[in-house]
Amino acid sequence: MLEQRLEQLVENTVVSLPEAHTGLVLVVLVGFSFSLSHVFSLLANRLKPRQILFHVLLDSLVLAAALLIASFINMVLIALHTQLLVEPKQFFNAIGGALAPGLFYVLVAAPYVSDLIAIAIWVLIHLNVITLVHLRFGLPYAEVVPLVTPGYVVALVLIALLFRSSWRRSYDRLASEFRA
Amino acid sequence: MGTSAPHIQSQVHRHRANWRGLVVVLVLAVVIALVGVSRMEALLRDLLSLSILRQVGIGIGLFFLILIPLTGIYSVVSQYAFWEGWLEGIPQPAELLQANARHEGGQQVRRFVIYLDGIHQQEKDHPPRVSAFLEELKQRLADDHRLVRDLETYTFLPVALADDSGSAWFWRRLFHWQEHHPNGFVQLLAAVLVQANNVIKVGISSDRRYGPIRNYELALKITLRLAEEGFDPSQGSELVLLGYSGGGEMAMGVADYLRSICKVPVQIITFCGVFSGNQLLERTKQVTLVVGTRDPVAAFGRIAYPGRLPLLPFSKWNKVCRQGLVQREVIAGMNHNGNRGPFSERYRGDVVGRVLDVLRQTERAG
Repeated sequence: MLEQRLEQLVENTVVSLPEAHTGLVLVVLVGFSFSLSHVFSLLANRLKPRQILFHVLLDSLVLAAALLIASFINMVLIALHTQLLVEPKQFFNAIGGALAPGLFYVLVAAPYVSDLIAIAIWVLIHLNVITLVHLRFGLPYAEVVPLVTPGYVVALVLIALLFRSSWRRSYDRLASEFRA
Repeated sequence: MGTSAPHIQSQVHRHRANWRGLVVVLVLAVVIALVGVSRMEALLRDLLSLSILRQVGIGIGLFFLILIPLTGIYSVVSQYAFWEGWLEGIPQPAELLQANARHEGGQQVRRFVIYLDGIHQQEKDHPPRVSAFLEELKQRLADDHRLVRDLETYTFLPVALADDSGSAWFWRRLFHWQEHHPNGFVQLLAAVLVQANNVIKVGISSDRRYGPIRNYELALKITLRLAEEGFDPSQGSELVLLGYSGGGEMAMGVADYLRSICKVPVQIITFCGVFSGNQLLERTKQVTLVVGTRDPVAAFGRIAYPGRLPLLPFSKWNKVCRQGLVQREVIAGMNHNGNRGPFSERYRGDVVGRVLDVLRQTERAG
Protein backbone atom coordinates (compact mmCIF):
# COMPACT_ATOMS: atom_id res chain seq x y z
CA MET A 1 0.00 0.00 0.00
CA LEU A 2 2.77 2.41 1.06
CA GLU A 3 4.92 1.31 -1.83
CA GLN A 4 2.08 1.88 -4.25
CA ARG A 5 1.40 5.33 -2.89
CA LEU A 6 5.05 6.30 -3.04
CA GLU A 7 5.29 5.05 -6.61
CA GLN A 8 2.26 7.12 -7.54
CA LEU A 9 3.72 10.23 -5.91
CA VAL A 10 7.03 9.86 -7.73
CA GLU A 11 5.22 9.33 -11.01
CA ASN A 12 3.03 12.38 -10.47
CA THR A 13 6.01 14.49 -9.51
CA VAL A 14 8.00 13.48 -12.59
CA VAL A 15 5.04 14.28 -14.83
CA SER A 16 3.96 17.56 -13.24
CA LEU A 17 7.26 19.07 -12.07
CA PRO A 18 8.11 20.59 -15.49
CA GLU A 19 4.70 22.33 -15.39
CA ALA A 20 5.46 24.06 -12.06
CA HIS A 21 7.05 26.99 -13.88
CA THR A 22 6.88 29.51 -11.01
CA GLY A 23 8.39 27.11 -8.51
CA LEU A 24 11.14 25.95 -10.84
CA VAL A 25 12.15 29.46 -11.87
CA LEU A 26 12.27 30.57 -8.23
CA VAL A 27 14.30 27.51 -7.15
CA VAL A 28 16.82 28.06 -9.96
CA LEU A 29 17.07 31.76 -9.08
CA VAL A 30 17.63 30.92 -5.43
CA GLY A 31 20.33 28.44 -6.51
CA PHE A 32 21.90 31.17 -8.66
CA SER A 33 21.90 33.57 -5.70
CA PHE A 34 23.57 30.91 -3.50
CA SER A 35 26.14 30.26 -6.18
CA LEU A 36 26.83 33.96 -6.75
CA SER A 37 27.50 34.47 -3.06
CA HIS A 38 30.69 32.42 -3.47
CA VAL A 39 31.81 33.79 -6.81
CA PHE A 40 34.86 35.34 -5.12
CA SER A 41 36.23 31.85 -4.45
CA LEU A 42 36.45 31.45 -8.23
CA LEU A 43 38.01 34.89 -8.68
CA ALA A 44 40.50 34.06 -5.93
CA ASN A 45 41.72 31.10 -7.97
CA ARG A 46 42.04 33.30 -11.05
CA LEU A 47 39.64 31.42 -13.29
CA LYS A 48 38.82 32.97 -16.66
CA PRO A 49 35.42 34.70 -17.07
CA ARG A 50 34.05 31.82 -19.16
CA GLN A 51 35.14 29.28 -16.53
CA ILE A 52 33.58 31.40 -13.79
CA LEU A 53 30.28 31.62 -15.67
CA PHE A 54 30.30 27.86 -16.23
CA HIS A 55 30.98 27.16 -12.54
CA VAL A 56 28.33 29.62 -11.35
CA LEU A 57 25.67 28.11 -13.63
CA LEU A 58 26.64 24.55 -12.75
CA ASP A 59 26.59 25.31 -9.02
CA SER A 60 23.20 27.03 -9.45
CA LEU A 61 21.72 23.92 -11.02
CA VAL A 62 23.24 21.60 -8.40
CA LEU A 63 21.89 23.82 -5.62
CA ALA A 64 18.47 24.01 -7.28
CA ALA A 65 18.46 20.20 -7.49
CA ALA A 66 19.35 19.98 -3.78
CA LEU A 67 16.45 22.30 -2.90
CA LEU A 68 14.08 20.29 -5.12
CA ILE A 69 15.14 17.02 -3.45
CA ALA A 70 14.52 18.58 -0.03
CA SER A 71 11.09 19.82 -1.15
CA PHE A 72 10.26 16.41 -2.58
CA ILE A 73 11.08 14.80 0.79
CA ASN A 74 8.73 17.30 2.46
CA MET A 75 5.99 16.46 -0.01
CA VAL A 76 6.34 12.69 0.47
CA LEU A 77 6.27 12.97 4.26
CA ILE A 78 3.19 15.22 4.17
CA ALA A 79 1.37 12.94 1.73
CA LEU A 80 2.15 9.83 3.78
CA HIS A 81 1.24 11.47 7.07
CA THR A 82 -2.00 13.19 6.05
CA GLN A 83 -3.23 10.67 3.44
CA LEU A 84 -4.29 13.75 1.45
CA LEU A 85 -3.88 14.05 -2.28
CA VAL A 86 -0.91 16.41 -2.75
CA GLU A 87 -0.74 18.01 -6.18
CA PRO A 88 3.02 18.25 -6.99
CA LYS A 89 2.63 21.18 -9.40
CA GLN A 90 0.87 23.34 -6.82
CA PHE A 91 3.16 22.16 -4.03
CA PHE A 92 6.38 23.06 -5.86
CA ASN A 93 4.98 26.43 -6.96
CA ALA A 94 4.11 27.24 -3.35
CA ILE A 95 7.47 25.96 -2.05
CA GLY A 96 9.23 28.17 -4.61
CA GLY A 97 7.53 31.16 -3.00
CA ALA A 98 8.56 30.01 0.47
CA LEU A 99 12.19 29.89 -0.68
CA ALA A 100 12.04 33.56 -1.77
CA PRO A 101 14.29 34.86 1.08
CA GLY A 102 17.03 32.77 -0.57
CA LEU A 103 17.01 35.27 -3.45
CA PHE A 104 18.96 37.58 -1.11
CA TYR A 105 21.56 34.90 -0.34
CA VAL A 106 23.98 36.71 -2.65
CA LEU A 107 24.47 39.18 0.24
CA VAL A 108 26.32 36.40 2.08
CA ALA A 109 29.27 37.50 -0.07
CA ALA A 110 29.60 40.51 2.23
CA PRO A 111 32.55 40.29 4.62
CA TYR A 112 32.16 39.80 8.39
CA VAL A 113 28.32 39.84 8.47
CA SER A 114 28.02 36.87 6.10
CA ASP A 115 27.31 34.24 8.76
CA LEU A 116 24.59 36.37 10.32
CA ILE A 117 22.89 36.92 6.94
CA ALA A 118 23.15 33.22 6.03
CA ILE A 119 21.61 32.11 9.34
CA ALA A 120 18.80 34.69 9.07
CA ILE A 121 17.94 33.55 5.53
CA TRP A 122 17.96 29.84 6.44
CA VAL A 123 15.74 30.48 9.46
CA LEU A 124 13.34 32.58 7.34
CA ILE A 125 13.12 29.84 4.71
CA HIS A 126 12.31 27.21 7.33
CA LEU A 127 9.69 29.41 8.98
CA ASN A 128 8.14 30.12 5.57
CA VAL A 129 7.87 26.41 4.74
CA ILE A 130 6.37 25.63 8.17
CA THR A 131 3.76 28.39 7.78
CA LEU A 132 2.99 27.33 4.23
CA VAL A 133 2.34 23.71 5.16
CA HIS A 134 0.35 24.76 8.23
CA LEU A 135 -1.95 27.00 6.19
CA ARG A 136 -2.29 24.84 3.09
CA PHE A 137 -2.88 21.47 4.79
CA GLY A 138 -4.49 22.72 8.00
CA LEU A 139 -2.00 20.83 10.16
CA PRO A 140 -1.06 22.07 13.64
CA TYR A 141 2.47 23.48 14.03
CA ALA A 142 3.44 20.60 16.33
CA GLU A 143 2.89 18.17 13.46
CA VAL A 144 4.27 20.39 10.71
CA VAL A 145 7.70 20.92 12.31
CA PRO A 146 8.76 17.22 12.39
CA LEU A 147 7.33 16.75 8.89
CA VAL A 148 9.32 19.52 7.18
CA THR A 149 12.50 19.39 9.26
CA PRO A 150 14.02 16.28 7.58
CA GLY A 151 13.80 17.95 4.15
CA TYR A 152 15.34 21.09 5.59
CA VAL A 153 18.20 19.13 7.15
CA VAL A 154 18.83 17.31 3.84
CA ALA A 155 19.01 20.69 2.03
CA LEU A 156 21.47 22.00 4.63
CA VAL A 157 23.65 18.88 4.41
CA LEU A 158 23.71 18.88 0.59
CA ILE A 159 24.66 22.55 0.44
CA ALA A 160 27.26 22.13 3.21
CA LEU A 161 28.78 19.25 1.20
CA LEU A 162 28.97 21.43 -1.89
CA PHE A 163 30.55 24.19 0.20
CA ARG A 164 33.14 21.78 1.62
CA SER A 165 34.02 20.12 -1.67
CA SER A 166 34.12 23.24 -3.80
CA TRP A 167 34.14 26.72 -2.32
CA ARG A 168 35.94 26.22 0.98
CA ARG A 169 38.61 24.13 -0.71
CA SER A 170 39.18 27.01 -3.13
CA TYR A 171 39.60 29.54 -0.32
CA ASP A 172 41.82 27.20 1.73
CA ARG A 173 44.00 26.18 -1.21
CA LEU A 174 44.73 29.81 -1.86
CA ALA A 175 45.64 30.51 1.76
CA SER A 176 47.99 27.52 1.91
CA GLU A 177 49.73 28.54 -1.34
CA PHE A 178 50.67 31.89 0.17
CA ARG A 179 52.06 30.38 3.31
CA ALA A 180 54.15 27.75 1.59
CA MET B 1 47.25 86.06 -0.55
CA GLY B 2 47.77 82.42 0.18
CA THR B 3 45.72 82.51 3.36
CA SER B 4 42.89 84.64 1.96
CA ALA B 5 42.02 82.28 -0.95
CA PRO B 6 40.50 79.47 1.17
CA HIS B 7 38.68 82.08 3.26
CA ILE B 8 37.10 83.63 0.15
CA GLN B 9 36.25 80.16 -1.15
CA SER B 10 34.48 79.21 2.10
CA GLN B 11 32.55 82.52 2.00
CA VAL B 12 31.46 81.79 -1.57
CA HIS B 13 30.29 78.32 -0.44
CA ARG B 14 28.37 79.81 2.46
CA HIS B 15 26.68 82.39 0.21
CA ARG B 16 25.77 79.68 -2.25
CA ALA B 17 24.26 77.56 0.54
CA ASN B 18 22.27 80.57 1.77
CA TRP B 19 20.92 81.21 -1.72
CA ARG B 20 19.92 77.57 -2.06
CA GLY B 21 18.16 77.71 1.30
CA LEU B 22 16.29 80.86 0.27
CA VAL B 23 15.15 79.29 -3.01
CA VAL B 24 13.91 76.15 -1.19
CA VAL B 25 11.94 78.27 1.33
CA LEU B 26 10.41 80.35 -1.48
CA VAL B 27 9.37 77.27 -3.44
CA LEU B 28 7.78 75.78 -0.33
CA ALA B 29 5.93 79.02 0.38
CA VAL B 30 4.54 79.11 -3.17
CA VAL B 31 3.44 75.46 -2.94
CA ILE B 32 1.66 76.06 0.37
CA ALA B 33 -0.05 79.15 -1.01
CA LEU B 34 -1.19 77.30 -4.13
CA VAL B 35 -2.46 74.16 -2.45
CA GLY B 36 -4.03 76.02 0.42
CA VAL B 37 -3.24 75.81 4.09
CA SER B 38 -6.26 73.68 4.98
CA ARG B 39 -5.54 71.15 2.22
CA MET B 40 -1.89 71.06 3.32
CA GLU B 41 -2.93 70.37 6.89
CA ALA B 42 -5.08 67.40 5.81
CA LEU B 43 -2.25 66.11 3.62
CA LEU B 44 0.26 66.33 6.47
CA ARG B 45 -2.14 64.59 8.83
CA ASP B 46 -2.48 61.73 6.34
CA LEU B 47 1.26 61.55 5.80
CA LEU B 48 2.06 61.48 9.49
CA SER B 49 -0.28 58.59 10.25
CA LEU B 50 1.25 55.78 12.25
CA SER B 51 0.95 53.16 9.53
CA ILE B 52 2.70 55.34 6.93
CA LEU B 53 5.46 56.23 9.39
CA ARG B 54 5.88 52.53 10.15
CA GLN B 55 6.11 51.73 6.45
CA VAL B 56 8.68 54.47 5.91
CA GLY B 57 10.66 53.13 8.89
CA ILE B 58 10.58 49.58 7.50
CA GLY B 59 11.61 50.88 4.07
CA ILE B 60 14.59 52.78 5.49
CA GLY B 61 15.56 49.76 7.63
CA LEU B 62 15.44 47.43 4.61
CA PHE B 63 17.42 49.92 2.54
CA PHE B 64 20.23 49.92 5.11
CA LEU B 65 20.02 46.15 5.57
CA ILE B 66 20.79 45.75 1.89
CA LEU B 67 23.14 48.74 1.59
CA ILE B 68 25.57 47.58 4.31
CA PRO B 69 26.34 44.15 2.75
CA LEU B 70 26.48 45.72 -0.73
CA THR B 71 29.10 48.20 0.48
CA GLY B 72 31.12 45.29 1.87
CA ILE B 73 30.82 43.42 -1.42
CA TYR B 74 31.99 46.52 -3.34
CA SER B 75 35.11 46.67 -1.15
CA VAL B 76 35.82 43.01 -1.86
CA VAL B 77 35.35 43.59 -5.60
CA SER B 78 38.05 46.27 -5.69
CA GLN B 79 40.36 43.97 -3.73
CA TYR B 80 39.85 41.18 -6.28
CA ALA B 81 40.29 43.60 -9.18
CA PHE B 82 43.82 44.19 -7.89
CA TRP B 83 44.33 40.47 -7.25
CA GLU B 84 43.30 39.59 -10.80
CA GLY B 85 45.76 42.14 -12.14
CA TRP B 86 43.03 44.39 -13.58
CA LEU B 87 44.39 47.50 -11.88
CA GLU B 88 48.18 47.64 -11.96
CA GLY B 89 49.11 44.00 -11.75
CA ILE B 90 50.17 42.19 -8.60
CA PRO B 91 53.95 42.17 -8.05
CA GLN B 92 56.03 39.15 -7.10
CA PRO B 93 57.47 39.50 -3.56
CA ALA B 94 61.05 38.61 -4.52
CA GLU B 95 61.05 41.15 -7.36
CA LEU B 96 59.66 43.73 -4.99
CA LEU B 97 62.57 43.46 -2.60
CA GLN B 98 65.22 43.40 -5.33
CA ALA B 99 63.80 46.18 -7.50
CA ASN B 100 63.11 48.63 -4.71
CA ALA B 101 66.02 47.98 -2.39
CA ARG B 102 67.80 51.19 -1.42
CA HIS B 103 71.06 50.44 0.29
CA GLU B 104 72.05 53.51 2.22
CA GLY B 105 75.22 51.99 3.54
CA GLY B 106 74.67 53.47 6.98
CA GLN B 107 74.21 51.76 10.31
CA GLN B 108 72.66 48.32 10.18
CA VAL B 109 69.01 48.34 11.27
CA ARG B 110 68.25 45.66 13.82
CA ARG B 111 64.53 46.21 13.92
CA PHE B 112 61.99 47.90 11.69
CA VAL B 113 59.01 49.09 13.75
CA ILE B 114 56.08 49.42 11.33
CA TYR B 115 53.20 51.57 12.55
CA LEU B 116 49.68 50.68 11.35
CA ASP B 117 47.10 53.31 12.22
CA GLY B 118 43.51 52.92 13.40
CA ILE B 119 40.31 53.34 11.41
CA HIS B 120 40.44 57.14 11.62
CA GLN B 121 43.20 57.14 8.99
CA GLN B 122 42.30 58.90 5.74
CA GLU B 123 45.62 59.59 4.12
CA LYS B 124 49.35 59.07 4.52
CA ASP B 125 49.83 61.84 7.04
CA HIS B 126 48.66 61.09 10.55
CA PRO B 127 46.60 63.49 12.68
CA PRO B 128 48.67 65.85 14.92
CA ARG B 129 48.20 63.77 18.11
CA VAL B 130 49.28 60.56 16.38
CA SER B 131 52.23 62.36 14.81
CA ALA B 132 53.31 63.63 18.23
CA PHE B 133 53.07 60.07 19.59
CA LEU B 134 55.15 58.69 16.72
CA GLU B 135 57.68 61.49 17.09
CA GLU B 136 58.16 60.61 20.78
CA LEU B 137 58.44 56.92 19.92
CA LYS B 138 61.04 57.68 17.24
CA GLN B 139 63.14 59.73 19.64
CA ARG B 140 63.08 57.09 22.36
CA LEU B 141 63.73 54.10 20.08
CA ALA B 142 67.20 52.54 20.18
CA ASP B 143 69.66 53.75 17.53
CA ASP B 144 69.53 50.50 15.62
CA HIS B 145 65.70 50.59 15.40
CA ARG B 146 63.88 52.37 12.58
CA LEU B 147 60.27 53.56 12.69
CA VAL B 148 58.30 53.07 9.46
CA ARG B 149 55.27 55.39 9.49
CA ASP B 150 52.81 57.05 7.10
CA LEU B 151 51.57 53.77 5.66
CA GLU B 152 47.97 53.77 4.41
CA THR B 153 46.75 50.73 6.28
CA TYR B 154 43.34 50.49 4.65
CA THR B 155 44.22 50.65 0.97
CA PHE B 156 46.12 47.90 -0.79
CA LEU B 157 47.64 50.06 -3.51
CA PRO B 158 50.32 52.54 -2.44
CA VAL B 159 47.83 55.38 -2.80
CA ALA B 160 45.51 57.25 -0.49
CA LEU B 161 41.74 56.70 -0.58
CA ALA B 162 41.33 59.91 -2.56
CA ASP B 163 43.33 58.31 -5.39
CA ASP B 164 41.59 54.94 -5.25
CA SER B 165 40.56 54.00 -8.78
CA GLY B 166 36.82 53.82 -9.24
CA SER B 167 35.84 55.64 -6.07
CA ALA B 168 38.27 58.59 -6.00
CA TRP B 169 35.53 61.12 -6.88
CA PHE B 170 33.45 59.89 -3.95
CA TRP B 171 36.24 60.05 -1.38
CA ARG B 172 37.45 63.47 -2.51
CA ARG B 173 33.93 64.87 -2.12
CA LEU B 174 33.58 63.18 1.27
CA PHE B 175 36.90 64.55 2.56
CA HIS B 176 35.91 68.01 1.36
CA TRP B 177 32.58 67.82 3.19
CA GLN B 178 34.26 66.50 6.29
CA GLU B 179 36.50 69.57 6.48
CA HIS B 180 34.56 72.39 4.85
CA HIS B 181 30.83 71.71 4.79
CA PRO B 182 28.92 74.52 6.59
CA ASN B 183 26.52 72.02 8.17
CA GLY B 184 27.98 70.25 11.21
CA PHE B 185 25.76 67.20 10.73
CA VAL B 186 27.05 66.67 7.17
CA GLN B 187 30.63 66.98 8.48
CA LEU B 188 29.90 64.32 11.07
CA LEU B 189 28.19 62.05 8.54
CA ALA B 190 31.15 62.35 6.15
CA ALA B 191 33.57 61.45 8.98
CA VAL B 192 31.44 58.44 9.92
CA LEU B 193 31.37 57.25 6.30
CA VAL B 194 35.16 57.48 5.97
CA GLN B 195 35.59 55.46 9.15
CA ALA B 196 32.90 52.98 8.06
CA ASN B 197 34.97 52.25 4.95
CA ASN B 198 37.98 51.43 7.13
CA VAL B 199 35.82 49.30 9.46
CA ILE B 200 34.79 47.27 6.38
CA LYS B 201 38.48 46.76 5.56
CA VAL B 202 39.03 45.43 9.10
CA GLY B 203 36.05 43.11 8.51
CA ILE B 204 37.56 41.87 5.22
CA SER B 205 40.92 41.25 6.88
CA SER B 206 39.28 39.12 9.57
CA ASP B 207 37.04 37.21 7.12
CA ARG B 208 38.25 33.64 6.64
CA ARG B 209 37.34 33.75 2.93
CA TYR B 210 38.71 37.14 1.89
CA GLY B 211 41.27 37.74 4.62
CA PRO B 212 44.14 35.82 2.97
CA ILE B 213 44.12 37.90 -0.22
CA ARG B 214 43.52 41.21 1.54
CA ASN B 215 46.31 40.57 4.04
CA TYR B 216 48.67 39.31 1.36
CA GLU B 217 48.10 42.49 -0.66
CA LEU B 218 48.80 44.66 2.37
CA ALA B 219 51.90 42.59 3.16
CA LEU B 220 53.16 43.30 -0.37
CA LYS B 221 52.59 47.00 0.16
CA ILE B 222 54.50 46.92 3.45
CA THR B 223 57.31 44.94 1.81
CA LEU B 224 57.58 47.59 -0.90
CA ARG B 225 57.85 50.28 1.77
CA LEU B 226 60.41 48.26 3.73
CA ALA B 227 62.56 47.93 0.63
CA GLU B 228 62.42 51.71 0.20
CA GLU B 229 63.50 52.07 3.85
CA GLY B 230 66.57 49.96 3.14
CA PHE B 231 65.37 46.60 4.41
CA ASP B 232 67.55 43.73 3.26
CA PRO B 233 66.49 40.16 4.21
CA SER B 234 70.13 39.02 4.29
CA GLN B 235 71.01 41.46 7.12
CA GLY B 236 69.01 39.55 9.72
CA SER B 237 66.78 42.43 10.77
CA GLU B 238 63.51 41.78 12.59
CA LEU B 239 60.09 43.27 11.97
CA VAL B 240 57.83 44.68 14.67
CA LEU B 241 54.25 45.48 13.70
CA LEU B 242 52.79 48.17 15.92
CA GLY B 243 49.03 48.50 15.45
CA TYR B 244 46.58 50.88 17.03
CA SER B 245 42.89 49.86 17.22
CA GLY B 246 41.90 48.38 13.80
CA GLY B 247 45.59 48.53 12.90
CA GLY B 248 45.98 45.67 15.39
CA GLU B 249 43.81 43.45 13.18
CA MET B 250 45.77 44.47 10.10
CA ALA B 251 49.05 43.73 11.94
CA MET B 252 47.89 40.22 12.85
CA GLY B 253 46.61 39.70 9.31
CA VAL B 254 49.90 40.55 7.61
CA ALA B 255 52.30 39.07 10.19
CA ASP B 256 52.58 35.56 8.76
CA TYR B 257 52.78 36.79 5.14
CA LEU B 258 55.53 39.26 6.01
CA ARG B 259 57.39 36.47 7.80
CA SER B 260 57.28 34.29 4.66
CA ILE B 261 57.96 37.10 2.18
CA CYS B 262 60.81 38.74 4.12
CA LYS B 263 62.04 35.53 5.79
CA VAL B 264 62.67 37.26 9.11
CA PRO B 265 61.03 36.96 12.56
CA VAL B 266 57.94 39.11 13.07
CA GLN B 267 56.63 40.44 16.39
CA ILE B 268 53.28 42.15 16.98
CA ILE B 269 52.47 44.88 19.49
CA THR B 270 48.96 46.31 19.55
CA PHE B 271 47.63 49.11 21.72
CA CYS B 272 43.87 49.48 22.17
CA GLY B 273 43.70 46.74 19.52
CA VAL B 274 40.46 45.54 17.95
CA PHE B 275 41.18 42.23 16.25
CA SER B 276 39.69 38.85 15.42
CA GLY B 277 42.71 36.67 16.22
CA ASN B 278 41.65 34.18 13.54
CA GLN B 279 44.92 34.42 11.63
CA LEU B 280 47.91 32.08 11.79
CA LEU B 281 49.96 33.47 14.63
CA GLU B 282 51.86 30.39 15.84
CA ARG B 283 54.94 31.32 13.88
CA THR B 284 54.98 34.89 15.15
CA LYS B 285 57.73 35.68 17.66
CA GLN B 286 55.39 37.25 20.20
CA VAL B 287 52.06 39.09 20.41
CA THR B 288 51.76 41.85 22.99
CA LEU B 289 48.50 43.62 23.75
CA VAL B 290 48.73 47.00 25.47
CA VAL B 291 45.22 47.65 26.79
CA GLY B 292 43.55 50.37 28.81
CA THR B 293 41.25 49.49 31.69
CA ARG B 294 38.67 52.03 30.44
CA ASP B 295 38.70 51.09 26.77
CA PRO B 296 35.19 50.05 25.69
CA VAL B 297 36.11 49.68 22.00
CA ALA B 298 38.86 47.14 22.59
CA ALA B 299 36.55 45.31 25.02
CA PHE B 300 33.82 45.28 22.37
CA GLY B 301 36.29 43.54 20.03
CA ARG B 302 36.01 40.39 22.14
CA ILE B 303 32.25 40.31 21.55
CA ALA B 304 32.49 41.31 17.89
CA TYR B 305 34.95 38.45 17.37
CA PRO B 306 33.64 35.54 19.46
CA GLY B 307 36.71 33.44 18.61
CA ARG B 308 38.53 35.33 21.34
CA LEU B 309 36.06 34.31 24.04
CA PRO B 310 37.04 31.41 26.31
CA LEU B 311 33.78 29.73 25.26
CA LEU B 312 35.51 28.55 22.07
CA PRO B 313 38.71 26.89 23.38
CA PHE B 314 39.74 25.50 19.96
CA SER B 315 39.71 28.84 18.15
CA LYS B 316 43.03 29.97 16.65
CA TRP B 317 43.35 32.80 19.16
CA ASN B 318 42.77 30.60 22.20
CA LYS B 319 45.31 28.06 20.89
CA VAL B 320 47.93 30.80 20.54
CA CYS B 321 47.11 32.04 24.05
CA ARG B 322 47.62 28.52 25.43
CA GLN B 323 51.01 28.35 23.71
CA GLY B 324 52.07 31.36 25.78
CA LEU B 325 52.69 33.62 22.79
CA VAL B 326 50.34 36.35 23.97
CA GLN B 327 51.34 38.87 26.61
CA ARG B 328 49.09 41.59 28.10
CA GLU B 329 50.20 44.97 29.36
CA VAL B 330 47.49 46.88 31.22
CA ILE B 331 47.47 50.67 31.60
CA ALA B 332 45.11 51.80 34.34
CA GLY B 333 42.53 54.45 33.38
CA MET B 334 43.38 54.60 29.66
CA ASN B 335 40.50 54.93 27.19
CA HIS B 336 40.40 54.23 23.43
CA ASN B 337 40.78 57.83 22.24
CA GLY B 338 40.27 61.44 23.26
CA ASN B 339 41.78 63.08 26.32
CA ARG B 340 42.34 59.75 28.06
CA GLY B 341 43.37 57.85 24.93
CA PRO B 342 46.84 56.51 24.07
CA PHE B 343 47.71 59.62 22.03
CA SER B 344 46.74 62.05 24.78
CA GLU B 345 49.50 63.89 26.62
CA ARG B 346 48.43 62.05 29.76
CA TYR B 347 49.05 58.53 28.44
CA ARG B 348 51.34 59.01 25.45
CA GLY B 349 54.55 58.61 27.42
CA ASP B 350 53.19 55.59 29.25
CA VAL B 351 52.20 53.77 26.06
CA VAL B 352 55.53 54.55 24.38
CA GLY B 353 57.30 53.34 27.54
CA ARG B 354 55.44 50.03 27.49
CA VAL B 355 56.21 49.51 23.81
CA LEU B 356 59.90 50.13 24.47
CA ASP B 357 59.84 47.78 27.48
CA VAL B 358 58.38 45.02 25.33
CA LEU B 359 61.03 45.61 22.67
CA ARG B 360 63.80 45.42 25.27
CA GLN B 361 62.35 42.25 26.83
CA THR B 362 62.12 40.41 23.52
CA GLU B 363 65.62 41.58 22.60
CA ARG B 364 66.98 40.09 25.81
CA ALA B 365 65.04 36.88 25.28
CA GLY B 366 66.68 36.64 21.84
